[in-house]
Amino acid sequence: MPPRLIKKKRRAAVSLAAVAAVLLAGGLTMAFSRGGGLPAGETYVDGNPQAVLYAPGHRAQVPEFSGRTLTGSPLSFATYRGRVVVLNFWGSWCPPCRSEGPTLAALSSKYSHAKVSFLGVDVEDTPVNAEAFEQGFGISYPSLNDPGQAVAQVISSVVPITATPTTLVIDPTGRVAGAIFGTATYSVLNEMISKVAA
Amino acid sequence: MTDVHVPSDVSAETFPEDAVPGLPRNASPKPEVPQANWGWFRWAWRQLTSMRTALILLFLLALGAIPGSLLPQEGTDPASVQNYFTAHQTLAPWLNHLGLFNVYAAPWFAAIYLLLFASLVGCVVPRTFRLAGTARTPPPRAPRNLSRLPNSSSYRVALPPDQAITVAAAFLGGKRFRLRKPAEGDKSSWISAEKGYLREAGNLLFHLSLLGVLCSIAVGGLFGYKADKLMVEGQSFSDTVTSLDEFHPGRLVSGSDLAPFSITLNKFTANYYTSGDSRGEPSSFDASIDYSPSPGAPAKPYDLRINQPLSVDSAKVYLIGHGYAPVFTVTDARGKVVYDEATPFVPQNTGTLLSDGVVKVAGASPTQLGFMGVFVPSPIDVGGVLQSYFPSANDPVVSLIAYAGNLGMNSGIPQSVYQLDTTAMTQLTAKPFALAIGQSETLPGGQGKITFDGYKQWVSLAVTYDPGQLPALVCAILALAGLLLSFLVRRRRVFVRSVPSGDGAVVTIGGLARTDASGGFEDEFAELVTELRAAHGESAPDIPPGETASRAPGENDTETGA
Repeated sequence: MPPRLIKKKRRAAVSLAAVAAVLLAGGLTMAFSRGGGLPAGETYVDGNPQAVLYAPGHRAQVPEFSGRTLTGSPLSFATYRGRVVVLNFWGSWCPPCRSEGPTLAALSSKYSHAKVSFLGVDVEDTPVNAEAFEQGFGISYPSLNDPGQAVAQVISSVVPITATPTTLVIDPTGRVAGAIFGTATYSVLNEMISKVAA
Repeated sequence: MTDVHVPSDVSAETFPEDAVPGLPRNASPKPEVPQANWGWFRWAWRQLTSMRTALILLFLLALGAIPGSLLPQEGTDPASVQNYFTAHQTLAPWLNHLGLFNVYAAPWFAAIYLLLFASLVGCVVPRTFRLAGTARTPPPRAPRNLSRLPNSSSYRVALPPDQAITVAAAFLGGKRFRLRKPAEGDKSSWISAEKGYLREAGNLLFHLSLLGVLCSIAVGGLFGYKADKLMVEGQSFSDTVTSLDEFHPGRLVSGSDLAPFSITLNKFTANYYTSGDSRGEPSSFDASIDYSPSPGAPAKPYDLRINQPLSVDSAKVYLIGHGYAPVFTVTDARGKVVYDEATPFVPQNTGTLLSDGVVKVAGASPTQLGFMGVFVPSPIDVGGVLQSYFPSANDPVVSLIAYAGNLGMNSGIPQSVYQLDTTAMTQLTAKPFALAIGQSETLPGGQGKITFDGYKQWVSLAVTYDPGQLPALVCAILALAGLLLSFLVRRRRVFVRSVPSGDGAVVTIGGLARTDASGGFEDEFAELVTELRAAHGESAPDIPPGETASRAPGENDTETGA
């Protein structure tokens, strides 16, 4: 084979290898990095990536759900239409839920006169343990008894409920206007409720 | 009779473009001399994509997987890992540093398979292109001296050379040979024919399928997930991230990609051999469940057993473990019932199901209560120590130590539900107290009361979704089929030349099988020659091989042409 041809072939092999390496590296980078910028219509509260506000037009409709409360009475989410709903997923066994208990108790009494309702979803729990929790923190709003996380599953189709606790602020039309993925702090949840209820 | 001449001194070097299949070209033992920066890169790339490196990496992968099957793994059995830590207090931390309790997620393991992946892709992709090229190449020109081929035969025909070749072409074409004729203007009379391209097709199929297997594994890794869930009898579980105890999603899986099924565990039954050598070993497990494929869909009953997983929504649910969950009621200092729950205990001995667990009464007021305990399914007193003699529950007993103080749960720092942090608590009872079903213990100092109400059983479920599983299987089968094809089909070439001789012509047929490992080409060649002779309508005598060789027919062979 003439030397020029060998050179040509080698160059082809090298460029093929380079292309393969770049593709591989690109694929790996893509596979190992998640997410990027914030999607349109979403803002962080206080720069906290776990507290997201959704602008009108970018709010997902919450599917209907219903169940029985910890005290046994039937409850349907549809009856809350027209009010801002603070929907909190919690369990008495969950340390972060216990740490945000005082926040929820304080904010629920602060907004008790406004068009804001608080609703809990007690997951993987028993009514006795849950009642002790509510009494301990002075929480008086109702909670759905959801040991099998059926409500979380329904809502996960529009908002990823990836941790307990998760708190959603739902606007009067039944759309998700804000979400706190993790422990809610007083200032963040307060800001969120006041913005959505304004 | 046809004479088939098979000389031994001719090798396959007549066809220099033939590489030995199964060996990549870049596996040459001659090391590249690295020159500039590019040279180093090329050298490294060649080393990485060589078959030798791939084999070494494959071996390392197998070697690396061994600790994964010898040592308990975090991903599948975290309880056993904890037990291993208690049993081997000096060794376990070292093994943990090496990632040996989570081998398949360890960086060194990832390094091996990523390199292997790169090596295989770098090796297989160029080969695929080359094979695709080979499968399309027409046969080479007929060599000048056909009698020097491994198989050759010669005879006289009454036809003129051109016609003899036309007849041969029609005959070989009818035998599904791929043909090559002399170019326009080439006055010589020859035809090249080749058969067995299916070998290349098989080889190509093998390589493409190999890539397919790699892609399927990647798809499984990117879009699949693995999860664990522990559930007590009577409990339900919805397949969402928050209700799963362990969730190992693929790189491109988010919580909303989970199959929206739900499962209720009605009853779990474990049967054990009660006699013989395997006394105490399980004979069957049966979890009676109701499942519904999506929220609101009607529930269907199913019996979940070992090796009988539930397929729901393209996910699979396996029964992987079981244990006991004693039910406790705790009353606090105020006389209020603040805890009523079946609390899963973790077996510390799989043979007797003696299990450990903790009870955290975070709602007790004014002081939180905690209990550390052991569940004994079949209690027996061995020198003052409670032991279990059998895994099934016969008058089970719990033995508890009570604590009061701060459980550390209200600070919000997540903690294990199977461990009690007693740093801010005081032990209430000096010695553990034992309770049978229905019995209560009043705690000292008016701190409250605990009752052992009974027990339930729990099962642990593994939920897996691997979209790459089926494609990987199909690709593996195709790869095997391709490999078989490339082994069983041989590529063989037949050349026919014809030179004028008297009134007619001398026809010489040469044959060559590439990689005739399975043999048999000689017979095929002899048969071809017989049939071609019949097609030429001749029964003229053979020309002895030596004679043909001395009158080698060829384009410039004027002597025979005259």
